[in-house]
Amino acid sequence: MERKHFLKNGLAALGLAAIAPLANACKKDTSDSSSDSGTDSSSGSGSCTATSSETEGPFPTKSPSTLVKSDIKGDRTGVAFTAKIYIKNKNNSCAALSGALVDIWHCDKDGYYSEYGGTSMQTVDYTAVHFLRGRQTTDSDGLVTFTSIFPGWYTSRATHIHVHIYNSSGTSLLVTQIAFPEGSDSAVATVNGSGGTTYGYNKGMTGYTYNASDNVFSDSVSNELASSVSGSLSGGYTLTHTIYVSA
Amino acid sequence: MQKALIRLCYRKIIDSSATRPWDKFVFEDSYTEFLMQSQLYNQEKKYTSFGELVMHVPNAEKLHFLVSAAVIGYLQQLHGKIPDLTNNLGKLFLPFKNFRFEIINSDIKDKSKHQVAVNFFTDHLIWHDTINNQLPLSVPGNTENGEILTELFTLPPFVSIYSIKPVD
Repeated sequence: MERKHFLKNGLAALGLAAIAPLANACKKDTSDSSSDSGTDSSSGSGSCTATSSETEGPFPTKSPSTLVKSDIKGDRTGVAFTAKIYIKNKNNSCAALSGALVDIWHCDKDGYYSEYGGTSMQTVDYTAVHFLRGRQTTDSDGLVTFTSIFPGWYTSRATHIHVHIYNSSGTSLLVTQIAFPEGSDSAVATVNGSGGTTYGYNKGMTGYTYNASDNVFSDSVSNELASSVSGSLSGGYTLTHTIYVSA
Repeated sequence: MQKALIRLCYRKIIDSSATRPWDKFVFEDSYTEFLMQSQLYNQEKKYTSFGELVMHVPNAEKLHFLVSAAVIGYLQQLHGKIPDLTNNLGKLFLPFKNFRFEIINSDIKDKSKHQVAVNFFTDHLIWHDTINNQLPLSVPGNTENGEILTELFTLPPFVSIYSIKPVD
């Protein structure tokens, strides 16, 4: 769900007009009649509370985590990429698992994750800090879809996407990763090849760690390899993958 | 005195005693997100407290950042004004765009131990003078008929001057 729409709709539902900046409040605000100071409205006994002197608000509305989004690009650029991930339940004859929460995160075209910078200051416009991370809820087919950019790579790891699957109440079911197919015609080779430089992928494949040498995938790539990654540089790539959990 | 450009930092601590709606949302949603995200660093369920996780699990301090995603929506709802801190007229006035979210304590088995802080950093303010314990400040560009509008502000607890830069 688009967060902005959520906010807009939420505010509209409450009948709130945009609140004018308070910078010139002294000359504009004529509605303050109480002499109470502070913004505390919770004091007082009985069922009534004192009117606060500062116009209270903006009234907070329930706001989902900024992780909850399908388009996770943030401010990152690169080759267009769509990830379609199906979640199936081993404990239910491998049927689709609906209502599961799926977090994914991956690095940008240069190999950087959004937590770079650790606990330093961030801005309320989070897209420069929280990028390429998202959370979606599986539909009746067990499917979540994310719109992103094709992941880059970094030293000692093959191209990969991290996935954390929770049940609908947030209990962890599985933490895993998705590996990418390799070979001269593969998306990984094409994006990191000469054609990808137009899109800012400048690392090439020299020093790349292939799945067989990757210490996460070397013993498990058979079931962590994406079922398919197809497309083109100009049209973007689509990854399809199925993950089995015990729910 | 010489005028200076300053930025204030307000460390707003939110815990289970929160009563205001905004504070309660931040408390509840940051705890839910902590429960979810901490499982990545606690897959054998060996630890219950945030302190143990940070001490024993590599990279668990990333939880500060990861959990912050749950509160950014509430920070945006403040429309760029730091909450709680008012000028001498009782008005919110401190502009901010930057913040740092921190988990102070938490526990996956005991919600009452969950305690977080939002550090708000103001945009640049001009500090003109000091009158007793009050600072006449102004927000750059905030003028009326060629006069600089000022705000009289008393430094309360949990507010510090984060940075200072002398100006002519």
